[in-house]
Order: sequence, then C-alpha cells, then structure tokens
Amino acid sequence: MKPRVGIYGLTSCAGDQLVLLNCEDELLDIVAAVDLRSFVMAQSDPAETELDVAFVEGAVAQLRDLRMLQDIRQRAALLVAIGTCATWGGIPALTGENEVAGAKRRVYGSGIKAKPGFFENLPPTPLSRHVKVDLAVPGCPIEPEQLLTGLASLLHGDLPRLPKYPVCAECKMKENSCLLVRDGAACLGPLTVAGCGARCPSLNRPCMGCRGPIEEANYFAEYRRLMELGHDPKEIRLRLQTFAAPAAALEA
Amino acid sequence: MERITVAHLARVEGHGGIDVTLAGDRVADVNFDIFEGSRFFEQLLVGRTWDQVPGIVCRVCAICSAGHYVTALKAVEDALGIKVSPQTEALRELLFLGQMIESHALHLFCLAVPDFLGYGGVIPLANDRPDEVRLGLSLKKLGNELQTAVGGRPVHAVNAIVGGFGKLPDPEVLRSLGRRLGEALEQAPAVVALFASLTVPNHSESPTIYVALEPEGEEFSFFGRRIVASTGETFEVHDYRRVTNETVVGHSHAKHSRLGGRPYMVGSLARLHHWADRLTPRARAVAREIGLTLPTENILYNNHAQAVELVWSLERAAGLIDELLTAGMKEETPVEVVWSEPRKGTAATEVPRGTLYHSYEFDAAGRVTAADIITPTAQNLANVEKDIRACAEKLAGKPDGDLVNNFEMIVRAYDPCISCSVHLIRLA
Repeated sequence: MKPRVGIYGLTSCAGDQLVLLNCEDELLDIVAAVDLRSFVMAQSDPAETELDVAFVEGAVAQLRDLRMLQDIRQRAALLVAIGTCATWGGIPALTGENEVAGAKRRVYGSGIKAKPGFFENLPPTPLSRHVKVDLAVPGCPIEPEQLLTGLASLLHGDLPRLPKYPVCAECKMKENSCLLVRDGAACLGPLTVAGCGARCPSLNRPCMGCRGPIEEANYFAEYRRLMELGHDPKEIRLRLQTFAAPAAALEA
Repeated sequence: MERITVAHLARVEGHGGIDVTLAGDRVADVNFDIFEGSRFFEQLLVGRTWDQVPGIVCRVCAICSAGHYVTALKAVEDALGIKVSPQTEALRELLFLGQMIESHALHLFCLAVPDFLGYGGVIPLANDRPDEVRLGLSLKKLGNELQTAVGGRPVHAVNAIVGGFGKLPDPEVLRSLGRRLGEALEQAPAVVALFASLTVPNHSESPTIYVALEPEGEEFSFFGRRIVASTGETFEVHDYRRVTNETVVGHSHAKHSRLGGRPYMVGSLARLHHWADRLTPRARAVAREIGLTLPTENILYNNHAQAVELVWSLERAAGLIDELLTAGMKEETPVEVVWSEPRKGTAATEVPRGTLYHSYEFDAAGRVTAADIITPTAQNLANVEKDIRACAEKLAGKPDGDLVNNFEMIVRAYDPCISCSVHLIRLA
C-alpha cells in the first residue's frame, strides 16, 4: 500500500511547497509513489483523512494555523516540519509577542469590522512549540536534494539523516576563501546548519543564517569575533535573529 | 438569502475562499475572503540596514520572490541615486524573466489549464495528456535554471546586490541556457495549439480598468517609471499611492485598492491591453493564433495573455544572453554606498501578477524607518469581487456546482498570490 501523504502550508511564503513543485523531473514519479491525499496549493478536492506522513510548511501565526496543525497532528503518524518557518519560526517570528498587537493596529487600524475570530493573530512560532514534530528539515527554502533523499528514506521506512555540522564545513570543502577572515564580513556560516553547499559564501555573499542554527551553536564566539571586527552588537543581534528569532533570543 | 461558498480555494498560492450571498436572482454580497496569516513585514524591516532589505522582503512570497528582490534593489538604489551598469541591468532582467517564465508556466500548465480541460489538477491531467504537462514542466524548469544561473537559486535569490552581483554567472552556463531557450521557442506552436483549443466562458465580462507600467523603451518590457490607466490617467511611480488608495475591509487580511473609487486590474492582460503593439512579431503572432483579441473585458483571457508573455520572455531572455555573451561579461567594482542623510526610495516593476510597488524610508545611517509594499494581488482583490459579482448575476438560478466552478476559474485566472497580498503593509 502506498503511504498516504498530505502537504500543508500554514502562514508562509509557500516556498517549501514550491520546492517540491520545482522538482520538475521527479514530480510525476513522486506523486506516483505516494497516495497524495491533500496538497491544496496544487490540487483540488483534498481528502483530509488519516495520514502516514504530513509535511507542514510555515509558522503558527494565527488561531486558524494552530487549529489546522492540531488537526493534522491527530491524523498523521509522522509529522515533518519543512522549512525554517516551521522549524524555527523563520522571518515571521521576528514579530514577537509584544509587537503583534501594535503591528496589527498600525497595519489595519483599530476599528476593523470583521467576523469574530477573523483577525486572530498570534505571535508567530515554530510547530514544535505546539505539537510533537518527528522530523524537521530546515532551509529558506528547503534544499531539493534534502527533500528528495528525505522522501526516499521515508518511502523505505527510515528517517533521513540531515547534516549537523555548520555551513563552514561545506564552505571549506569548496575551498572558498573565508569571507569572515578575508573581508571581516558578518557571515553566519559558523552558526548555521549545513545542507546548502555553502551557496552564499560561494557567491561572495555572507551567510544570512536562513537554515537556522546548528545544535549547540557558539553564539558567544561569533559575537565576540564580529565585535572585534568592529560590528555593532545590536546589528549582530538583528542579523542572528533574522531567521531563528526564538533560538537567538534563547542563546544570546 | 442563499449563500454559495468556496471554503478553501485550491490551486492558488496561499489561503483564501469565496463567499457569495444571493437574494433570489440578485447578488446581495460578494466577499473574496483572505485568511492567510499576517506576517507584518514592516515590523521586521524597521531598524534593519539597507543591505538586508531585499533578502528579507523576497520572503513575502516564494513564487514572486525574484520580483520582490529586484524591486527592493531598485528602491534602495532609487534612494541612493545609484545607476547600475547595462550589464547589471541585463543580468537582473534575466533573473526577472526566469521568474516570469517559471511563474507563468506553473500557473498555466499546473494550476489553470486543468480547469478548462475538466481536471482537478495537474496530476490527473498528466495521466491523460502527458506531453502537454511535460512541456509545461520543462518550461518551468528552464525559468528556474535561469534564476539559479543569475540569482544562485530558484527561490529566494542571493547573488544580486545593490549595484551589481556577488559573482558573475558562468558564461558557459548562460550559453547552454541560451541554446535551450532557443529549443523552447521551437515548442511555441505546442503552447499555441493548447491555448487555441480552450473554450473560454464569458460569464464574468464586465467593464474593467486596466493599469500597467509604461515600458521604459520602445519595446515591451516589465520595467517602467510611469503608471498608465485605461481611464486615460497617468501617474509617476513616486505617486503610486494616488493609484492604489488602500483601505481595510473586514473579510480580508489584505487591503483593497481602488482608483477613483473603482476597482482595477493589474497583470498580463492589463500589460497587453496597453502595450501589445510593442511585442515582438513572434509574440504578436502567438496572441493572434490563440485567439486573444484586445481589448477584452473577460478576465479568463489573462491566461492567454500569460501564454503570450511566456513566449515573449523566452525570446527576450535568449536575446539578452546573446548580447551579454557577445559583449563579454566584465567584473565590476562594487559600488560604494555612503549614507549621510535620511533618504526615501521607490520603485515599481511588472511582476507575473501585475504592478508591484516597494517604497522605503531610511535614516541617516541607512536603517529602514518606514516601508510600504503594495502587491498586484492586493490591488486585484476588489476587481476579483467585481468579476465574481458579474458572473453570479449572469448565472443566477444555475446549479451551485456550476457557479462554484466558474467562481474558482475567475479567481484562478488572476493567478492570485495570497501570501503576497497579506504580507504586512505600511508603517507610517
């Protein structure tokens, strides 16, 4: 029996679902290998049934997201978070608890006439804050290779292995000259989990940290080094928070 | 009173629904509900330095990522008074065209065409008509590879920066892409045959105002500095708020826009409404052969207009690559960016779904103090409701299933990008 699969998006840019649609050469084989029950971005008439695997993109940023996530979790044997928003909160999570009410007022004004519950914004948070997540594949967006090898592992009844080392490891393998050493750039490669093939440093662009942090990231050493290089601590903090605000707040 | 609803629209980017209330044969109310969560991008931008803006705002939406990225670069450069080299302009346009090709191919072949042929999505369509789906996917892939060659990856580019690029693309990669664009153009007759074969209902026909940027040069283009409306009005890009006039409505997390109190349409159909005569002979022939007769007030022809732009973009990209390789790409010295006083910058581009505006204010250190992004989908929302109303009035009394199908086709014709429309908005 083919595994029953659902693909869902909470509040997000839909980039991780798009990465799947961007696997143009593999897409038709993938959909043939699984029993795709729900993928609203690509297909009408979803069947919201029990699932073997649910892939969920996006952050929980409103009541509707939370209810949807809880419902998916109840129905799915395995829940896979895809992308940095689902794993770490991503860019939306920069709007912290104290800021949502103010942002809402500034953007929409105070006297919104709407159905009850319609403008129920929550401080954006990763999935693991609310439900058990069996596997998290970070990336903004996720890397197609990791998605495809991950799918292959799951089809064989195994969880995929994801790198735990930082972007620096991949950057060294490519024999790039280090942007932090060479240019004193605020490169977040030492803290950020690998898997992208050090794409940005290979293009002379400092790592923005879009894949989120490695386990036991040494924030202190990065801060100290960047401050020695003359970077403003406030500026460093903002950059560290861009994609993984909850993690950076915890560690910094 | 009878209510007809589409609780959750499929085959569109993001989360939205339709809610129509009928009183007998009369349409009492039409709501295009937008319940995508808000992400308050303005909150995240304030305090950030100018160089971080493109990389953050491109995350408003994955499908339109390159459009947001390039428009943000142009807005920052507008603030700084930076004029980029013709080489940078050409490479940026290539990145932009890659997105146009990818986005149009995805929308047309995977999301919209299944409706016209009676399928629920691209997967069942692929079972019965594999050649057409493969053609669509191969064009989509080519668009992604263009974006990868210039921007570093297909979703959320990293290589383009204020003033230029982190690293120039590999000429050999461009040469191979140029060759494949040529091969893709040879597939144009298959695109024509598919679109010429579609039966296009006209239930939503109703008077429409079309708004688009005027191309900068003599030829068709997605870049411009003047906004033209089919009412005869023109505006400078810096005055975009006189066009967009955003207001909050109770059933949508995205604001609505009205020009002179009336809804308007932006997108491929609006661009061709104004500038079809500036297309290449090949693209004009495609328009003729697929039966796109302009002007039209039937939004379903936006699909056909996208097909014309798809072919035009393939041709334009091939030409740009040819020019870049003939001239030979040269390493450029990065521009020196100096901030000494508060500045404001605004830019507009024509992205796949219509006119996109980005406007930023910076303090004397180059940190964002205010941001305003107005997306095409947000501008189209009021027009979508107008078209659904016209359709509901015309089809009142028909079975609900017919109505729902037609409503969905109308919404999908706009190729709405709901994440984009509910990104944030302005911080005054």
